[in-house]
Amino acid sequence: MNISENMVTSRLEKRGITLEKVPFLDMGYWIKKSRFSVGATEEYLLGLYSIQEAAAQIPATLFTNLENKTVLDACASPGGKTVQMANLMNNSGLIVALDLKPRKMFPLVNQLERSRVANTAAYNMDAKEASKLNIKFDCVLLDVPCSGNPITDREWFSKRTLADIHKNARRQRQILAEATKVTKNGGEIVYATCSLEPEENEFNMDWAVKNLPLKIEKIKCYGEKGLTKVFDSILDSSVKKAKRIWPNETQGFFVCKLKKMGNN
Amino acid sequence: MKEIHEFVKQFNVEIPLEEKQIVRKRNRYYLLSDKLNHNAPKGFFYAGDYLGAVKGTGFFPGFALLRMIAKTEATKVILGKKAAWLFICGRDIFKRGLLKQSDLKKDDYVLIMNKNEECLGFGRVMINVREEIDMDKIAVKNILDVGDFLRREKKLSTNKSKK
Repeated sequence: MNISENMVTSRLEKRGITLEKVPFLDMGYWIKKSRFSVGATEEYLLGLYSIQEAAAQIPATLFTNLENKTVLDACASPGGKTVQMANLMNNSGLIVALDLKPRKMFPLVNQLERSRVANTAAYNMDAKEASKLNIKFDCVLLDVPCSGNPITDREWFSKRTLADIHKNARRQRQILAEATKVTKNGGEIVYATCSLEPEENEFNMDWAVKNLPLKIEKIKCYGEKGLTKVFDSILDSSVKKAKRIWPNETQGFFVCKLKKMGNN
Repeated sequence: MKEIHEFVKQFNVEIPLEEKQIVRKRNRYYLLSDKLNHNAPKGFFYAGDYLGAVKGTGFFPGFALLRMIAKTEATKVILGKKAAWLFICGRDIFKRGLLKQSDLKKDDYVLIMNKNEECLGFGRVMINVREEIDMDKIAVKNILDVGDFLRREKKLSTNKSKK
């Protein structure tokens, strides 16, 4: 939103940075070669681009149209997806960005100020209490706290237990239920995790379509079909519309788009 | 509001600011769009464009305010590539680093721009630039530069690792 794509890529190339377009993203580039950190260039500090893992750039692109909408980013810090949505909205409309932990608010607002985001209000607030805001949202991004995956966390296997995964899955369902309450009828929710655990992904989507006024929407994006037969369980067939991104060129990721049923 | 106007005046310009769109939260000022102003619930931590904060008896600007000032005829200097990089790294500017400048007088506040005329920050003029012949004299003292975003990140990660 602060410069055209061509201008920024040409400026980076002049600095000797080799870029390669990410084939499954409209506006994403892989850094193939750089002699210095791309998080310290003049262009970065001027907010002309942001850095985000390729798969993590998918969720924000799945909403039908964000311009002038009222949007909730329920677990926003450090703000990569908030900035991406503000860009897709051309700084119009309103984004409400929440994060639970006070210490996570500072990286979020640092990112917003650097990227010249002007349409966002950030709150130090638990996503499970979003209805206290008294707003109904057109679009809700749920990039929920999750167990992560071994690609981005080398100590993952020594750190994580099955109990953790179940605890996270419960918390994610609570956030999803609250998000459904604050979404307008006909509104869209994009649910995403960087976990590969079915409990935090397909099982939660199965639970959502069976317990909340939500249906899963078909999405066109990079990734494989969501699993519907897991650990001897047969899940709702619509769960296959979700996308599971196995770690390869990107980190592991899961994304699903849901629509709130009912008329406005 | 008074603090913002007084700060802007130091660049010998004025900028139109709609008072009803500016919100003060503790010591910090934010400029809110109509949509934010009408629809964002109270109690935010941060909203809209951050204009700056009152610190002690002074006012310390945010980059959004500097960009607004940069759109006016405010006093500016344009830096070459190397001087721009040094400035972003928190360094002061030598006279030799100035590519283009207005008639700078000692103690003036000045906006620092790169060759693309993007605002990198601001500083205080330390010499009468036209009269000074020593190219290695510090011409502008760095007060704020965009490298601050990185320094803040570093500070945050240091604090995090201490905990």
